[in-house]
Amino acid sequence: MGEPGHSRRALLKGVGGLVAACPFAASVARAEPHVTDAPLANHASQDDRTPFYGARQAGVVTPRPAHGMVASFAVVADDADALEALFRRLTERIAFLTAGGPVPVLDPKLPPADSGLLGPVARPDGLTVTVALGASLFDDRPWLRPLKPKRLTRMTRFPNDALNADLCHGDLTLQICANSQDATIHALRDIIKSIPDQLILSWKQEGAVPVVAPGPDGTAESARNFLGFRDGSANPDSRDEALMDRVVWVGAGDGEPDWATGGSYQAVRIIRNFVERWDRTPLGEQERIMGRSKMTGAPLDKLSASEFVGPDYAQDRDGRLTPLDSHIRLANPRDAKSDANLILRRPFNYSNGVTRSGQLDQGLLFICYQADLDAGFISVQRRLDGEPLEEYVKPVGGGYFYVLPGVETPSDHLGRALVAAAREPRDG
Amino acid sequence: MKLKHSLAAAGLALVLASGAFARDAALDLVEPLAEYKVYVTEKTEKLETDVAAFTAAVKAGEIDKAKALFAPSRMSYEAIEPIAELFGDLDASIDSRADDHEGGEANPDFIGFHRIEYALWVKSSTEGLAPVADKLLADVKELRTRIAGLTFPPEKVVGGAAALMEEVAATKISGEEDRYSHTDLWDFRANFDGSRKIVELVRPLIAKKEATFLKTVDANFERIDTILSKYKQGEGYVSYEKLTDGDRKALSAAVNTLAEDLSKLRGKLGLD
Ligand code: HEM
Ligand SMILES: [Cu+2]
Repeated sequence: MGEPGHSRRALLKGVGGLVAACPFAASVARAEPHVTDAPLANHASQDDRTPFYGARQAGVVTPRPAHGMVASFAVVADDADALEALFRRLTERIAFLTAGGPVPVLDPKLPPADSGLLGPVARPDGLTVTVALGASLFDDRPWLRPLKPKRLTRMTRFPNDALNADLCHGDLTLQICANSQDATIHALRDIIKSIPDQLILSWKQEGAVPVVAPGPDGTAESARNFLGFRDGSANPDSRDEALMDRVVWVGAGDGEPDWATGGSYQAVRIIRNFVERWDRTPLGEQERIMGRSKMTGAPLDKLSASEFVGPDYAQDRDGRLTPLDSHIRLANPRDAKSDANLILRRPFNYSNGVTRSGQLDQGLLFICYQADLDAGFISVQRRLDGEPLEEYVKPVGGGYFYVLPGVETPSDHLGRALVAAAREPRDG
Repeated sequence: MKLKHSLAAAGLALVLASGAFARDAALDLVEPLAEYKVYVTEKTEKLETDVAAFTAAVKAGEIDKAKALFAPSRMSYEAIEPIAELFGDLDASIDSRADDHEGGEANPDFIGFHRIEYALWVKSSTEGLAPVADKLLADVKELRTRIAGLTFPPEKVVGGAAALMEEVAATKISGEEDRYSHTDLWDFRANFDGSRKIVELVRPLIAKKEATFLKTVDANFERIDTILSKYKQGEGYVSYEKLTDGDRKALSAAVNTLAEDLSKLRGKLGLD
């Protein structure tokens, strides 16, 4: 990276100017948070509404709220009509849930229409529900197969993986994010109840982002993951539309099927962290493994800088300051070639319980978005294969999915272009 | 036929005496409830006959015969689970699973159908099973006596249609019920039949008002029939392990939808 405009710092500097001039600096600076900015303490409201309608789905470049989950489903749809019915029903539920409103009141002799988790009025609470499709949805249906996005495959094992088949793949995922866990669970239960005949839940993983307090200039540091490091510092800037068009969104010229324009590849990885062992590792080693200062997030070659300052590997060719095999250096060597491998990370920390060995089952629900799955997640993960961090992490689940283009108007529905293409007669 | 009528009359008397349900629905439900009692009574009689033969084979050490009788003798029980489960103590000793007991299979409290199933399929032995077999038969007889004296609570009967689907959805579709013998499809057949029987009995009461609802319910039962018929073998079904992933998903979807739809049956009949 290093080019101006790519980093968060450039924009944060701009924000700094406002801070000086405006007494309500804190809120102004947060007017447009970045995708991995930590949710700010006391800023979320149950009435926060993230628009559902748009050329692209929400929940990709949308700043993370405090809670997120990925739920994966098997789909029952034997033809284009059934698939359309599913997409229409999903659209209808998501449009309601993200806008909020009173839940229907029924005869008390009947089961209530709504789980009631949010009370008589389901307030949106910043909810987004992002729908993505897995390779199996296409592979298992000859009439859909020719329309599969070019790079969409079933996730295959990387050397450090110990994939649990019960936590992998799926025909369709919902990434559900909101200010509160209740709002994400309410949405999930609503959709399960509304579409029992076409969606069968296979697995889900919930996670959270710690809420942080803003500093005096209104900006926030990146939230920490369960290894205690700031996570998100070097993420490409989600407010930079041109950058997002290149890194995240599939455009008309990307060689993907026409219907896929405005979508994105979603890589999900459930990565267990061996936190007891990590906590027994010397601080210096932890920092060399990650390639950043643990407390401040500063790059190791500029220890007094902020986390948003990038390392300068040209001045540290032998890796004396930032080891060549550190996580961040392998993930992004910041050379001419690696600019093509940028990804937008949008992870959540998870804490599930205790393993059979009596250790904490904690980790990272890693989610990233990119316009090209091969150049993005897969290339970055290949570079990370064998990294020293592997001793402390174990990917156990996840999969690759394709985020559908957005729903532009209330008369539109998710997957409209895909269904239309599936109905078109094809040769051969 | 004769038996049926006398039982129906008995059921009617009991139900009227109980006065346990809504005024409007009350008279309407009298007949379905009486008929359901006939159905359950016939099933418990068959259960007793089948379990007597099954436990005799177990006690005689006839492993192959006992294995062959295991799945069919359970079916009458599975079909009437909503009523059988009203007697929690009996349900626990007749049909509990290893994981209901601390220590699993090794726990001496683990008895009943699944304890015998475990011995037959995993241990290939009937050693020490005689008391378990005797107890199972005694429990089944006791169940029959208790059911004979029971006033069927209407909300339990009508709710039973959904309850059977909830059971399948929550703990059966995974294949955990008959985990040693993999005869789950037999149980499913019985669960679906038991649920559908209840729908059939109340159908006349809502046929006009709820035509669409009934059409959806029927379609899902038929979907299940179609899938199950693919796995038929002789009088019964092939191993649950033979079920394809696609069919398991299709079954799941139909069961979840039936559970969702049938959860409204009580309300549609005006029951609380
Ligand atoms: C549990 C697993 C992981 C942990 C704990 C972790 C942690 C971190 C941390 C602390 C940073 C530095 C701060 C930042 O820039 O965000 C970072 C950076 C990064 N990570 Fe990870 N990460 C994990 C997995 C992954 C995976 C699976 C990938 C992709 C295959 C990945 C890709 C990246 C990238 C691209 C950067 C930015 C590097 C840069 O541009 O300097 N990480 N990660
Ligand atoms: Cu049972």
